[in-house]
Amino acid sequence: MSVAIALHRVSAGYSGPVLRDIDLEVANEVVAVVGRSGSGKTTLLRLIAGLLEPTSGTVDLLGVPPAIARRRKRIGFVAQDARLHPWRTVRQNVTLPLEVNRSARTNGHVSPDEWVARMGLSESIDAYPHQLSGGMRQRVALARSLVIDPEVLLMDEPLASLDELTREDLRDELLRLWEGRPRSVVYVTHDIEEAVLLADRVVVIGGHRPARVRGEVAISLPRPRTKALRREPRFHDLVEEVRSLLA
Amino acid sequence: MTIRRTLVDLAVALLAIVGIAIVLEIWSRAFRVPSYLLPAPSAVAARMATDAGLLAREGGVTLSEAAAGFVLGTGVAFALATIMAWSRPFERTLFPLAILVKLTPIVAVAPLFTLWFGFGTAPKVAIAALITFFPMLVNSFVGLRSADLQEVAFLETLGASGREIFRHLRVPSALPYLFSGARISLNLALIGAVIGEWTGADRGLGRVIFVANANLDLTILFGAVLVLAAIGIAANAVVGAAERRVLHWHPIAVAT
Repeated sequence: MSVAIALHRVSAGYSGPVLRDIDLEVANEVVAVVGRSGSGKTTLLRLIAGLLEPTSGTVDLLGVPPAIARRRKRIGFVAQDARLHPWRTVRQNVTLPLEVNRSARTNGHVSPDEWVARMGLSESIDAYPHQLSGGMRQRVALARSLVIDPEVLLMDEPLASLDELTREDLRDELLRLWEGRPRSVVYVTHDIEEAVLLADRVVVIGGHRPARVRGEVAISLPRPRTKALRREPRFHDLVEEVRSLLA
Repeated sequence: MTIRRTLVDLAVALLAIVGIAIVLEIWSRAFRVPSYLLPAPSAVAARMATDAGLLAREGGVTLSEAAAGFVLGTGVAFALATIMAWSRPFERTLFPLAILVKLTPIVAVAPLFTLWFGFGTAPKVAIAALITFFPMLVNSFVGLRSADLQEVAFLETLGASGREIFRHLRVPSALPYLFSGARISLNLALIGAVIGEWTGADRGLGRVIFVANANLDLTILFGAVLVLAAIGIAANAVVGAAERRVLHWHPIAVAT
């Protein structure tokens, strides 16, 4: 199994240091990164996407530096509370990634309309973002990130701004998504249960700034998973294990 | 639908003007205000009817000068704002210069422009351009910088070039700002053209007002001012309609 994302002793920061000596490898699996607010989770994603240069250490994406992987259009990115492009309809938002950086070839076999359909938004395909609920907007954000069929999917608390029921629906959606086609996913969240439900591994970062990796928990729960899993004792043991690493 | 809105807006504006005219008419008759101080609206209306051809011709001259100045001033402002949004060093160099331009009193440079560019159209266009420049510069700059940072990051992870981010994200994000800049600049352009005509011209509403002032010919003076106001209101209505059409996705456009 080839390693899609490899961080080797990476330190980074803005005016002050935020992350120190981070080692992380992701290969065709879902890795959830959990930490308190302000612990540098978003910084980690920016590092992987090459939007931020490390002060030391190396970041490799699909065997090349992130800047090159970006130019090859191999990265999908879903942010919290995606604003989308308000002047574009749902369909136009989903086709946007195909309109930029045209020289890069994508392996997308699924059409934008099909992605919209898979997200259950066919009826709103010509609607504008201001006509959608927060949950629908996040579905559009998901669809537009997947339309290029990226090997690497980076998600920055994509469900954090949604209400509980919408969040549960979208969690199921995400589970089906990566159980249907394995990808290398880095899923940042502060929700421990969400991390355990979705991920193959949970990496905990934290501590006084700069943050380090405090530990890792392998989630051996079988797939396909459903939200019923949350009632099982095994699930709670894993949640407690992650929680103890955070504290 | 937008056309109906525009017509309603115009009707309301017209109604307000008629209302004020009625009050002034009653006032000037009741107190027998001499016509060299304040002419009765009926007298102004009569004069506008007899000199309709003159007012339309000169109004057309002023409008075309203002329009040319508006296009020139806002065009240069947008181009500079683009450069400023692109590079911090340019922003730091250009912004103080822009403020210098803004702070230069138009009345001080207007005679100078006439000296440089002659009595023709050029100095009026230049003044209208100068006066529209700053509001459009500030609005364009803030607008281009207003793009959502998460969306910028999203496009960057797709390998979008700076030009693509500019075209797909920065310009559309700036549109609401560009329209409010255009609304401000439009009226300023008209004022700029009139000031230009005032300081030396043989055509235009500014010239009409200047001569009327010298002759204490108040009916034509007020007539010219009313024509100017009408042009301004119509121009605003056109921009408003365009704004509602282009920014149909914008929360403010939806709300109004």
